[in-house]
Amino acid sequence: MIDAGLVYFILTAFTWVGWIFLMRAALFGFKLAFDNYGFDKSKAIKAMTLSGGVGAVLLLLGTVIRKDLGRPAPEGLAIPVVWLYTPLAGWILIIGAFMAISRLIQWRTALTPEEGQNRFKGMLVFAVISGLGFWWLNTMQGQISVIRGAVPVPWQGLVAFMVLALVALAVMVRAEKATRSRGVAKTVINQLVLLAGAIVFGIPFAWMLITSFKEERDLANTDGIVWVPQVQLTHPYNDPERLQFDATYSGQPVKAIIEEKLAGGKVLMEVERPYNLRGRRFEANEGELKESPRMQQVWSGKYQTRDVTGFTAKDLPDGSREIEILTPADMKGQRFTESPENLEPVREPGLRWENYTDAIEWMPAETNNGLRYLINTLWLVVTSVVGTVLSCSLVAYGFSRLRFPGRDALFSVMLATMMLPGAVTMMPQFLIFRGLGWIDTLLPLWVPTFFGGAFNVFLLKQFFSTVPMELEEAARIDGCGYFRTFWQVMLPMVKPALAVISIWTFMGAWNNFMGPLIYVSTPSKMPLAYALNLFASDRGGDQALMMAFATMTTIPVLLLFFFAQKYFIEGVQLSGLGGR
Amino acid sequence: MLVRRLVLAVITLLLASSGFAEKVTTLTVWGMAITPDEKGTDVLVRQFERENPGVRVRLIGMGAGAMNPQKLMTAIVGGAPPDLIRQDRFTISDWASRGAFVPMNQFIERDKAARDPRTPTREQYYPAAWDETVYDGEVYGIPIGADNRVLYYNTDVFAKNADKLRKAGLDPARPPRTWEETLAYSKALTEFNADGTLKTAGFIPNYGNSWLYMFAFQNNASFMSPDGRTCTLYSKESEEALQFMKEGYEILGGYENALKFQSGFRGGENDPFAIGQVAMAINGDWMIANYSRYSPKAKFLTAPAPVPAARLARTGRFQNEKDPYITWSGGFAWSMPRGAPNQELAWKFIKWITSLEGRKVNVQAQAELDVSRGRRYIPRIEAMVEANEWLIKEYASGDNVYDQALRQHVAMMPYARLRPATFVGQKLWDEHVRAIEQACRGAQTPEEALKSGQEKVQIILDEFNNKKNYPEIDIRVPLGIAFVTVVLGLIGWVGWMIKKGDGRVSVTETKAGYLFIAPWIIGFLVFTLGPMLASLIFSFMQYDVLNPAHFVGFKNFTDVYVNDREMVLKAFTNVGYLAIVGIPLGLMTGLAIAMMLNTGVKGIRFYRTAYYLPSIAPAVAATFLWVWILNPDNARGLLNNFWNNTLFEWFAVAPPGWLTVESWAKPSLIVMGLWGAGGGMILWLAGLKGVPRTLYEAAEIDGASGWRQFLSVTLPQLSPLIFFNAIMAVIGVLQTFDGIYIITRGENMGPNDSLATPVYMLFNNGFAYFRMGYASALAWVIFLIVVLVTFFQFKIAPRWVHYEVNK
Repeated sequence: MIDAGLVYFILTAFTWVGWIFLMRAALFGFKLAFDNYGFDKSKAIKAMTLSGGVGAVLLLLGTVIRKDLGRPAPEGLAIPVVWLYTPLAGWILIIGAFMAISRLIQWRTALTPEEGQNRFKGMLVFAVISGLGFWWLNTMQGQISVIRGAVPVPWQGLVAFMVLALVALAVMVRAEKATRSRGVAKTVINQLVLLAGAIVFGIPFAWMLITSFKEERDLANTDGIVWVPQVQLTHPYNDPERLQFDATYSGQPVKAIIEEKLAGGKVLMEVERPYNLRGRRFEANEGELKESPRMQQVWSGKYQTRDVTGFTAKDLPDGSREIEILTPADMKGQRFTESPENLEPVREPGLRWENYTDAIEWMPAETNNGLRYLINTLWLVVTSVVGTVLSCSLVAYGFSRLRFPGRDALFSVMLATMMLPGAVTMMPQFLIFRGLGWIDTLLPLWVPTFFGGAFNVFLLKQFFSTVPMELEEAARIDGCGYFRTFWQVMLPMVKPALAVISIWTFMGAWNNFMGPLIYVSTPSKMPLAYALNLFASDRGGDQALMMAFATMTTIPVLLLFFFAQKYFIEGVQLSGLGGR
Repeated sequence: MLVRRLVLAVITLLLASSGFAEKVTTLTVWGMAITPDEKGTDVLVRQFERENPGVRVRLIGMGAGAMNPQKLMTAIVGGAPPDLIRQDRFTISDWASRGAFVPMNQFIERDKAARDPRTPTREQYYPAAWDETVYDGEVYGIPIGADNRVLYYNTDVFAKNADKLRKAGLDPARPPRTWEETLAYSKALTEFNADGTLKTAGFIPNYGNSWLYMFAFQNNASFMSPDGRTCTLYSKESEEALQFMKEGYEILGGYENALKFQSGFRGGENDPFAIGQVAMAINGDWMIANYSRYSPKAKFLTAPAPVPAARLARTGRFQNEKDPYITWSGGFAWSMPRGAPNQELAWKFIKWITSLEGRKVNVQAQAELDVSRGRRYIPRIEAMVEANEWLIKEYASGDNVYDQALRQHVAMMPYARLRPATFVGQKLWDEHVRAIEQACRGAQTPEEALKSGQEKVQIILDEFNNKKNYPEIDIRVPLGIAFVTVVLGLIGWVGWMIKKGDGRVSVTETKAGYLFIAPWIIGFLVFTLGPMLASLIFSFMQYDVLNPAHFVGFKNFTDVYVNDREMVLKAFTNVGYLAIVGIPLGLMTGLAIAMMLNTGVKGIRFYRTAYYLPSIAPAVAATFLWVWILNPDNARGLLNNFWNNTLFEWFAVAPPGWLTVESWAKPSLIVMGLWGAGGGMILWLAGLKGVPRTLYEAAEIDGASGWRQFLSVTLPQLSPLIFFNAIMAVIGVLQTFDGIYIITRGENMGPNDSLATPVYMLFNNGFAYFRMGYASALAWVIFLIVVLVTFFQFKIAPRWVHYEVNK
């Protein structure tokens, strides 16, 4: 069982524990020097020398005994580290054993017999768990292997770290003396951990945003991750052989080229961009056309032994490019032909916002640059919110404030439906909507919201119950009917709850994916979230576009959050729905 | 007031949106997206629009056409199909057998009689391509484009290893011609690293595009009996072919070793074949353009794919065989879904786009675009014989390697075999893939693997063949009876309740009460109870909506339990894994953050927002983002890049393949879920605020440590909240769907079905194949399991959930 991995494990532990003991010794030292309050000096000196001695011995052992890393060790200093590599059963075994041992120690060092008994029981439990883990590991023939590793550190770094640690220790001891509490160190650590966590949680967003502004070249970079996007410089240029014009095609601004000259000053134009109209032809008056230069890419290369930059004037059939020189100034306007291998793109840090316009341009023409999706989604959101709020508050009021036979039985039935997986009713519902001829419309997505949802009703009922009875009775005495009492007296009382429900419904409608997946197939009827998925699958390879799409769907939700933060947070607290 | 304004706004929006409609006929075409690099289709479509004024063609990918039938099937069943669909040819029989596509014989006959020069006829096409679209004597699609597979071999690698090859008695100047030679070449060309991993692979049997079909065809295996009623996935011939693949993997140190090697492959300029990581591969003609565009310096040649030695020598079984080489071919076809609104126009479009003239327009426009972008234009093979001849003459007559490769592909077309035209084509494909995996992994012998796949396909075949043995039933009768009973029962009940009263309650109040809850009652009947009953009734039927239902008794349930047992178990195991590992992790992460925030730190508002935001990111966007972050390529995936710079540097543990490998797919989902743990954090924060301070003070006086306080004060106090969340989370996890669907694009269920979930299975059976009966049975199984799990949770709750006595 004693293999290289185990030896490495033990010696690594020696090294680390050695450092900890050394630090402990330093702590005692500082305490003696700055803050010898509340303890016996001689004991502290003893503890210091003991810690220092043990630390030094352990470190020496850990360093001197030759360790086999299993592969060439990094050059220079390296801190040994280990990681256990094992299936779940192995972890159960290890953690169980660890806990059992610690309980064993606690049992032996217990102060009261009662505590000792508890610890002993705990030890037995963990021993059994550990045994089960061992049994499971054995049956699945899993193995626990020690992965040996080393973190390379330059020795300057190590020294700097040591100095830092010592200074921190000293400061802590001084601070403790000043405040007589251990709070400072804890708070600092707490803040550091929270900040690190917040950064980890935030990085994906940052990554999404950065990627959405990247050029293809940065995405395909094989050297690693690019954090600062760069864009290739462009230069406006209109190729006289294929002049591009600004024009209007059925009310939409387009860029087009002249396909054919017609009689009477008219020309036949062909659309070049946006892509979703590419190739459409239309007539225009030649006099009204305005030239619209293309943005050509700028390259650097060598011409007549000099470093030059210039833009692509023409792509030649053999793959080479005709470059018109921009710098140096004395060569400006000259042209030369070069093959792409000898040209380097001229790039500078910047954001390629064209990813967003490109993403929009790829939407089918009839969706009006994707605006249609937004309108559909808004329609869905508005109707769903109205429907949910109306129906749920009505039903909840009925259940909470009116007394009628059968009420409690029906209410229990309603609660039970909360457990019902939507999958069970999915297909028959499809057939119902098919019977109604509602397939390929948005109706199946929002009409059901007008019929009350169990969860929201439940929540509102709780809220209605907190409104004092007297209020309602007063209204009744004033001659209000049931509906007026509900509408004018009770509803205003539960506004916060309504706000919360509205926000959930908003989120639900905004994110609804399975609904459109089943019911909608015409692009002009799709809501945003689904359309995003669909067009991304057409353009799956282009990560920058995908992230631009993703950013565009995320931003409205984030905006909503910042405006209605209070309700979001209250909402989660109300629901108990979090934790997923 | 507010409501009135809202309603007004809504009406205005509605009116405004109806104004967008154009006054033209729109021809909706699915299975084809416009991409920046594709201009041929654009030009074709525009020319069609000009020839037919008043017509607008709408191209849209819809994820349709290939491996994801759900959208098309739902649209057809829902009565809102597109006009045209570009469909993978081998699936056409499947669609035709369901009556989901329009037969085209009448159109062809009519136009042939009218001597329309664009009429497609069988003579113009390779018989293999044309016959793939024929089902029961009717044509259901017109072929467009074809592909086939040949052997690509990297001549640089051959030259570099010339000595090694010679030593093994092989000729480095030519590629292998037989299976036996292939293995010998592969053995000589494969190199290993010190740790046993691959450095260079000679030949990976299933890398590129060969599958078992290629080798089985070469060995004269057929996968279906001639009458189409019996699946013959297992035969001596296919077993030998699979054995050959298995041996191929053994040379590489096993299937797993090869997979590990392949997980490091990249595309584009780092294509493993182009850079010599793989010496030989069987691949399709689409690769030529890739090599020319990204790896112009790669040196390779093509040859017919190696065949069994006996075939080449024409001995034994192959004595009377005239084709020495065999390839397999696939491709797409244009079809019309049933119920397509503009069939005449659609047919006109098909005729135009498949005609020789149309092919030429397409190719010329595409070539022009490629050349103007400074790229070599490399055409794809066509299904039409004449079009190929023209292509070669115009675009591939040179003697460079690309033209040679293309000519090789075209030359192989007459020797093409194709996947059997059967309505179980998709299932057969899936099972054959599974058989390759099982056999090459060594989990089953080739014989067992093929036989078990064959059984599964046969079940579906039998289901179809035996349909007539089950009584046909008008689905409306049981549904109607059930619905009427329920409605009458409910009305009766309400009426009785109103009448009965209970003495203390006035009848007006009772009436008002029922009026108030009427929305829910109606909704409950129409959207919950009614569908549940319907689903129960369906579960005893075989029903695909397009055709009449048959009563099959408990067959659907036995299918779930017996025939599909493996898959159903896997789906439930997967969600079980997500529940057992994912839910506690999620709860703990949220709780940990909340506990840290609850210590009275400064800046709690900032932290709360920072941790909460991810949980409200839209699911689609979040999934895209994480798929990108979890990209296994170190140079692209953020997480693996980080892993590579830390864990790999320190421990030499290679970063995992995340969503692309079986063992990491579910952990990836859990990681994605943890990002949203902030939603729970807010909840715990509220819960923690509700824990009385006095309890902690008392604990402190008793000398309890922080950890002890957490265990004996915080946890018990929070336990009702934890319990509620656990229940909701379990119900939620059992229904996991959206994220996985987006990740897999609805095309598969993750590597080796590692992302299959019950609802995903149900969705596929229900909406991709409209096996309503089977899906309903599955739905009820899921329902029962949810009930059981929830019941169990409630049962054990008193043991650990702590409620205040006075509550």
